[in-house]
Amino acid sequence: MRMVIKGNGAVAHAVRLARPQVISAYPITPQTSIIEGIASMVAEGKIDARFIKVESEHSALAGCIAAESAGARTFTATSAQGLALMHEVIHWAAGARLPIVLANVNRAMAPGWSIWTDQTDSLSQRDTGWMQVYCQSAQEVVDSVIQAYKVSERVLLPTMVILDAFFLSHTYEDVEVPEPGLVDGFLPPLDLPQKMDLEHPAALGNLVFPDRYMEFRRKMDLAHQVALGVWDEVGREWGELTGRPYGLVEQYRMDDAELVLVTAATTASTARVVIDALRDEGVAAGLLRLRVFRPFPADLIRTILADRKKVVILDRNCSFGHHGIFHQEIKSALYELPAGQQPEMHGVIAGLGGRDVTVEDLRGMLMGVWEGRITKPVTWWNVLEAKGAETGAVAMG
Amino acid sequence: MVDLNPKMLEDIPVTSYSDNSTLLIKTGAWKYVQPSYEDKLPACSHQCPAGNDISKALDLIARGDVAAAARLWRAGNPFPASLGRVCPHPCEDQCNRGQFGGAIAIHMMERFLGDRSLDPEFLPKAKPATGKKVAVIGGGPAGVAAAYNLALAGHAVEVFDDKPAAGGYLRTGIPAYRLPKDVLDRELALVEQTGVQFTLNTRVGRDVSFDELRNRFDAVIVTIGFHGSRPLGVPGEDHENVYNGVHLLERILAGERPELPRRMAVVGGGNTAMDVARSLLRIGVEPIVVYRRSRMEMPAIPTEVDEAIAEGIRFEFLTAPSRVIIENGKVTALECRKMRLGEPDESGRRRPIPVEGSEFPVEVGGVVTAIGETAELDFLPDEARDGWRVAADERFVTPVEGVFAAGDAAFGEGTVTAAVGAGRRVAMVVDAFLGGRELPSVAPPTQASWERPVNIDQTVHVEQLNPAYFTEVPRPEIHELDPQTRSTSFDEVVQGFTEEEAIREARRCMVCGTCNECCNCLFFCPDVAIHKRSGAFGFDIDGDHCKGCGICVEECPRNALSLVEVKS
Repeated sequence: MRMVIKGNGAVAHAVRLARPQVISAYPITPQTSIIEGIASMVAEGKIDARFIKVESEHSALAGCIAAESAGARTFTATSAQGLALMHEVIHWAAGARLPIVLANVNRAMAPGWSIWTDQTDSLSQRDTGWMQVYCQSAQEVVDSVIQAYKVSERVLLPTMVILDAFFLSHTYEDVEVPEPGLVDGFLPPLDLPQKMDLEHPAALGNLVFPDRYMEFRRKMDLAHQVALGVWDEVGREWGELTGRPYGLVEQYRMDDAELVLVTAATTASTARVVIDALRDEGVAAGLLRLRVFRPFPADLIRTILADRKKVVILDRNCSFGHHGIFHQEIKSALYELPAGQQPEMHGVIAGLGGRDVTVEDLRGMLMGVWEGRITKPVTWWNVLEAKGAETGAVAMG
Repeated sequence: MVDLNPKMLEDIPVTSYSDNSTLLIKTGAWKYVQPSYEDKLPACSHQCPAGNDISKALDLIARGDVAAAARLWRAGNPFPASLGRVCPHPCEDQCNRGQFGGAIAIHMMERFLGDRSLDPEFLPKAKPATGKKVAVIGGGPAGVAAAYNLALAGHAVEVFDDKPAAGGYLRTGIPAYRLPKDVLDRELALVEQTGVQFTLNTRVGRDVSFDELRNRFDAVIVTIGFHGSRPLGVPGEDHENVYNGVHLLERILAGERPELPRRMAVVGGGNTAMDVARSLLRIGVEPIVVYRRSRMEMPAIPTEVDEAIAEGIRFEFLTAPSRVIIENGKVTALECRKMRLGEPDESGRRRPIPVEGSEFPVEVGGVVTAIGETAELDFLPDEARDGWRVAADERFVTPVEGVFAAGDAAFGEGTVTAAVGAGRRVAMVVDAFLGGRELPSVAPPTQASWERPVNIDQTVHVEQLNPAYFTEVPRPEIHELDPQTRSTSFDEVVQGFTEEEAIREARRCMVCGTCNECCNCLFFCPDVAIHKRSGAFGFDIDGDHCKGCGICVEECPRNALSLVEVKS
């Protein structure tokens, strides 16, 4: 069914189609309309689920953990400070191997107080054992939420489906919302192997001594390795059902590209316009959009970027004291390439706190690198320059 | 089952779990505080002059055990059916439910339990006889309450009263439209069943000497109440048509219908004034209440004032008599002065100050005074008197060995309820005296802990409750005879609750400070360390596994749990 809906509405409809049994959530801008939409659907009987109103995000996820442990399919949504408040139980959900699906609307962390998009909130949860999928459109949101349940429940790892604040969460698009029958055929009911069993009482999450802890962690890491293949397979299966296949990454005009922009989320839409324009001007430009970020498809990315001339990695985030996080990850993936196949890599940090990343910005970065005007490994894009550039006094004053 | 000796990663489960019991791990050893079920005093009982265990009784009703509630209520209180009709119910002013839909109709609940427990099966069993004898002088509410409790404690009690029937002010001062006399008679009959002997028509000092009582009995309790009446102190008040309110009321309530003027002024703002005015109305006299302060300061029970106003009785507030106008030997008017209110006096109420030159006549053919009463103490030795009252300390001990005094004659609290409470408390003291024990401190609200252990040092007000667990439920309507019907008869005005209404109302009670087995503690305990007792009331806390987190205390809706320090 075609609908004109926002990114947040897309989440709500996808959740409806996934038939969760428990939703436990707490409102936070710009996520709130997701759970409002879901709450209405529960109230109207369109979702047969218990909606637990809680007093904090920590409890929201704790509620999902409890319900999921009992074998129920669950959902929650949050953003920025809310995600940070969940942090302790975010680890727990992954360690308990609960296939929870969470929608995170990317929002910059405070202070300064911001409700606008950047990726620091979700990337701060990079090492928790959750899978992460960055979406570029409301259509991809619908499709990814449904796929996330399937992949999560296969590999017993939770997934964050991530969408940009406002650019995606609050922008209306023409979206194909699948019919319930289609999704029911695609996504079987949850059958959690470690589900609580009243006949066999057990203490969950008990003390594990050093002689065994590493084995549990090793299994989590192996599950991530397996998940790479599962995401690929599920993305293809979804394509056969709907005509919209998905991969771990998306490549645009990459076949002969010598200048590659690597980015994620809605910036990719803007980037395609720039790539087309550069192509018209005779520059062999291409786009590599990161989609599944955890597990990280390092081998695939290495293969794709081998032998390219120049690569610009756009981060809407920063790991302070080092580079943008996507930049680091790409560099580490490419380290194994022989010297002759290594592209020249430049990181650009842009669009923090919701600042626009325009067609002109992207063209400026790409051409700056292509024409050799940008030589530094990392550039903060379009920020005020410092008089006493790069001295300690600048940062402290 | 966990493979305890895994060889491969596949032998390890997906996440950690233990199918051993965690009870092996005694995490309770970490705690430095622990929860304790500690019933506390609810705000209502804190205010109850009679010491009724309100929340416990209402909880019993809510659970459907009306009989246990009736038994509990009558355990130390001989007059619940009467008090359920005449008490000014200060409990309701403090009821925490007041913030959640309106105070519990505790007064009506007391009446319901009082009426229910008129059946002798609800009388407590007396303790074995002690062989000690107690004389009680005065068969009013204080004396009878003392006699009842002492008889139940095993002592032989004889009550002396100069009237032909016991009951004191309940009989002579309270009209039948508030307290039908058969209710009082049935309650007194129950008191007699406990072994209390009533010696009536016997005035101490006239028919039997005080010294003789001291010789014959191991203890004597003086509970003679108020009888004399304070004079108005204005010219003309010795005219035959100026009446003492207490005495006039006594005559009317005894069934006399004296020849009275058509219109009469009733001077005063207390309960006697209200009872006089409303009784006069019922025998065809038009009363005009003259009160020197405003309605705010009236000491009468507010609902009694409301009912009097509803019955059409005229009030002259801020008005004080200055002279009885007599023409040709007949009262033609009460000359009054307007008053204004000044600074608060020692009673806390604003002092009335006459407005110069504001004299005006209130045209009446007679005047009834109801401005406060005094005790008649002639029979007592001098050292037992302190002005208008019997000399007694806070333990009711008088300067005369073995003699105690309570009620209005000693303290002048001025309500039947306070008198009943005083009777219960003096009985505690006298019981200790007779047993040769140290006299206990019995200051209110001590008596609230008589029937069960309650921490009387902590009163549960609304701030101590967890409001998340209470929603507003409105107070039920109280049924009354309509003012037209009732102003011409002595039929009871207020109608009691049916059992169904009483159970519904009891369910509104938040049972402040008292465990009612709501199980919230059990549900919230993250360590599953709270267990419902099987076959008994309440819960046990498993100290080996309670970590002292305090969640149960926090989530107890009614503050019946406390965190206490663990003694090492």
